[in-house]
Amino acid sequence: MHPKNPKKRQADFQVIARWVNKGERVLDLGCGRGVLLEYLKQTKGVYGVGVDIDFDKILSCVKRGVPVYQGDVNEVLASFQDNAFDRVIFSRTVEQFDAPDATLREGLRVGKRVTVGFVNHGFWKNRLNKAVWGRRTVNEVYPNPWHASMPANPFSVAEFEDYCQIKEISIGKRVYLAGDWRSEGTLFPNLLAGYAIYDLASSN
Amino acid sequence: MNDSEQTAQISEEGEVGIVEYQDFVSTEPFHFESGGSIPELRLRYETYGHLNEAKDNAILICHALTGDHHCAGVYSMDERKPGWWNFMIGPGKPINTSEYFVICSNALGGCQGSSGPGSINPETGKPYNLDFPKLTVRDMVRAQSQLIDSLGIDRLHAVVGGSMGGMQTFQWAIDYPDRVGRYIALACAARHNAQTIAFNDTGRQAIITDPGWQNGNYTAENGPDQGLAVARMMAHITYLSDVGLEHKFGRKRRASAKEHFDIEFEVESYLRYQGQSFVTRFDANSYLYLTKALDRFDLHAPESLDDTLSGVTAPGLVVGFTSDWLYPPQGNRELVESLLRLGKDASYAELAMDYGHDSFLVRAPKLYDLIRRFLHR
Repeated sequence: MHPKNPKKRQADFQVIARWVNKGERVLDLGCGRGVLLEYLKQTKGVYGVGVDIDFDKILSCVKRGVPVYQGDVNEVLASFQDNAFDRVIFSRTVEQFDAPDATLREGLRVGKRVTVGFVNHGFWKNRLNKAVWGRRTVNEVYPNPWHASMPANPFSVAEFEDYCQIKEISIGKRVYLAGDWRSEGTLFPNLLAGYAIYDLASSN
Repeated sequence: MNDSEQTAQISEEGEVGIVEYQDFVSTEPFHFESGGSIPELRLRYETYGHLNEAKDNAILICHALTGDHHCAGVYSMDERKPGWWNFMIGPGKPINTSEYFVICSNALGGCQGSSGPGSINPETGKPYNLDFPKLTVRDMVRAQSQLIDSLGIDRLHAVVGGSMGGMQTFQWAIDYPDRVGRYIALACAARHNAQTIAFNDTGRQAIITDPGWQNGNYTAENGPDQGLAVARMMAHITYLSDVGLEHKFGRKRRASAKEHFDIEFEVESYLRYQGQSFVTRFDANSYLYLTKALDRFDLHAPESLDDTLSGVTAPGLVVGFTSDWLYPPQGNRELVESLLRLGKDASYAELAMDYGHDSFLVRAPKLYDLIRRFLHR
């Protein structure tokens, strides 16, 4: 499967790189082929560790020279002490967790900061596809039909911000990308943002 | 950046062909970690490929408990069975001998030509037997380091090993951080769990309670053969998996069983053959010494795993196998978890294979790909 638009696949790279400090310790949960970590290593000199469940992804990380751990995200998080990493990254992975709240909180324990990037399912096109056509959005990043995809638990910008408020998770920075996942905007994000990236920290 | 993956470059695969072993002999006394010494050290080893001018392309292979220095090639063209890791080592193979100089030595304490309980004490002219000092994995590695010195190699490109070899690999990374470029440990453990110690001791008891053992002072003709064969049969089961055994044998029977306790099932025949053939190639006292060294190996001591691994500098790769119930994935994972806690460059991969602990010895393209890439990164 070759992405038609690798830029879209790497939508959050520049934003995350902007937030990461030089030489930080970064844990990327659901790191895929290790492209983000390789990028952060090259641009920011981070000590980055990836986690993924799929052996072929691990192979790619090894080839890139990215330290990687094949296994379950929750198990890996449990093995680290508090604040073991400067930053824990969840890039398009929160939707796939069995218990997103528990995993995000573990992320906030292990990382001093947490970065979450996700597709906004409140984006008008995603709504339209559901409302008018009765179908979910298929794009370059999610090219597979439902029967060939991992189970996902889609959510919107509004839902995520509600969650952070209820659970007293402080949102440091946020960036909304438009439908092309490139240009940044702030107007009516729940309707107009195609992709959202948050920089979080525990409030306490 | 392109996220698409190029398939690993695979040059034409070839065989290392006919090989010969060599002996490294040091006439300096060798002192053991737990006390005691032997007046000279002997390690039998093989090498494949060529050491480059910079002497920086050497890879040390560490074998498992009952393995030996013969890991690739054949001794003659009539030999049907090549070295134990011939799939892995050769021109164009994952451990590419066109590129790397590969060294494998019979472990200290072994019985295939290296100093061990069965070798002759030059001071008495008799076998050491139980006078051989208590052995540790650290001793094995220090003996190997003397061999590496003798070859003029300062720093190894990589140290690679499975099972006991994996433990040696870690010991290398811990004891000689400046001499290890990277390391790969397969089907490994930071220490034996109670079940593994239990199996080992049952094997040792089978040997020690065999009247032929004679407190270790047996002769080649009258050794504890039955005990050693039973120890091997039992250990062999722990190297496989239930699924693997079922797949290979199921309840297949032999037609020839006449007496009640004759060989009736194929799996019985297989195991008895494994036991008998082991007796012809392995020394009972070596088996006792080596299994004891493994049971005592403990990277969690004296302080903690994190403390023991804190001085490691080389990048490491640990590979676990899902069906391995002797050195289960969890024991492999904890090594990498510790290294990552310490901020080291370490990776963990897990392969779903049905061959149990022995999975690393089986033809496995995914494992080849992983090792090839890690050696090249």
